[in-house]
Amino acid sequence: MDTLNTAVQQAGETAQNSKEFWTVLNDGLIISILGYAIVFMALVGLSVFMIYFTKLLKLNLKKKLEQSGHESTENDDLDIPGEVTAAIATALNQHFAEIHDFENTVITIQKVQRPYSPWSSKIYGLRHSPRN
Amino acid sequence: MDVLEQLWSGFQTFVQYTGFANATLGHIAMIAAGSFFLYLGIKKEFEPLLLVPIGFGIIIGNIPFVEGAGLQLGIYEEGSVLSYLYYGVTKGIYPPLIFLGIGAMTDFSALLSNPKLMILGAAAQVGIFLTFIVALLLGFTEQQAAAIGIIGGADGPTAIFLSSKLAPELIGAIAIAAYSYMALVPVIQPPIIKLLTSDKERKIKMKPPRSVSKLEKIMFPIVGLLLTTFISPGGLPLLGMLFFGNLLKESGVTKRLADTAAKPLIDIVTILLGLTVGASTQATTFLTPESIGIFVLGAVSFMIATAGGVLFAKFMNLFLKGDNKLNPMIGAAGVSAVPDSARVVQHLGIKEDPSNYLLMHAMAPNVSGVIGSAVAAGIMLSLLLKVV
Repeated sequence: MDTLNTAVQQAGETAQNSKEFWTVLNDGLIISILGYAIVFMALVGLSVFMIYFTKLLKLNLKKKLEQSGHESTENDDLDIPGEVTAAIATALNQHFAEIHDFENTVITIQKVQRPYSPWSSKIYGLRHSPRN
Repeated sequence: MDVLEQLWSGFQTFVQYTGFANATLGHIAMIAAGSFFLYLGIKKEFEPLLLVPIGFGIIIGNIPFVEGAGLQLGIYEEGSVLSYLYYGVTKGIYPPLIFLGIGAMTDFSALLSNPKLMILGAAAQVGIFLTFIVALLLGFTEQQAAAIGIIGGADGPTAIFLSSKLAPELIGAIAIAAYSYMALVPVIQPPIIKLLTSDKERKIKMKPPRSVSKLEKIMFPIVGLLLTTFISPGGLPLLGMLFFGNLLKESGVTKRLADTAAKPLIDIVTILLGLTVGASTQATTFLTPESIGIFVLGAVSFMIATAGGVLFAKFMNLFLKGDNKLNPMIGAAGVSAVPDSARVVQHLGIKEDPSNYLLMHAMAPNVSGVIGSAVAAGIMLSLLLKVV
């Protein structure tokens, strides 16, 4: 009889645990799906806005150019290889950081006038050669 | 004789207060862990700006002393200097300040030149939500599970912010796990990326990003703030500061403020945050089975996030043609961890094809991952904070 009671109790506990497991899983799934969907919604929304905002800007620019009698060009397919982009970026960086490949070849010599002072006089200096 | 006895008794009292008398195996283990962090930061140069303060903080936090004697030394003792500095962590003050600096440092041009890459930043957040479910099933409460899951966002400040609100009792372990995995990006991500992509996919060259106008750059933080915080107001402290910092940078008229936010301010906060987070690992409160569970779940979360980003990039490729196809490796950068995960993608790309520069392309999902994880944290906060 005791064994039977224990078995029934264990079965009850197992069923309870199993029920809890499914409840927890269900709650977790709902929060996760909802959360993930909202993250997507926020970033997709931002992405869509920026795509259309860029298009609007381009249209506006095109209109302005046409009104002022200039031709507008579509640069979407401008394919610059990565190496070229890297080279341009390096050149710009060197330019702005003032790193030179070669130095300026123009040399300016300014004449400096030094008025006489006994403090700088060669006569009283210590570098005379000893006289015999 | 009396004097000798007094001297002896004084010496005994002194000994009782020394670290030698109070050291436990836990303290020694944690000091060893702190030293290992310092080794990784200094010798291996894995995120030294984070690992050096955290590693040293771990050592500071684990110098043994008599606890509860009113010495006001430990980080968990009321009135101690460390506890005041730690206040910025427990109350979630440091993370928004870090986000201000990140915003002032981040150039969103790569993202704006190809806005569809923003979706990869959302896709990689799958790690957060799947780990949330796993943690729930392992017996953590909903709040704790959310705080653990956010480790997969690979964003230390976001993880600290969320755990300070939802599960303050786990903040030390979560912060350490989040920052450790951020530092270990170059170790964790490459095998997953290689496993999920073919040689041919890794060699895909993407179209160079277009130039972005100043107006777009100025509009982005304003629109970004409005859109994301209207959807997820819980992320306001993080997103607000992130976009504010970016506006300071892009407006071009507040250079001094942007410079301060991007350099001295973020440096000061990083020092305080790193040191106190490290010190919060006091062996007596940190070394628990729960902490180990958090470390394991954090790693799982991070791996799922990486895989999620890569797989979603492959999924997007099904709908893209010709030049517009994505190199799926850039999906891995959606886990934020700016700019390490983008750098990992760049290295892998160069390894496959020395003329394939993926850094700029990877920066797009990378910075969008920062926004994505902050939005995810906001959602978790809105859904779960009311239950506390």
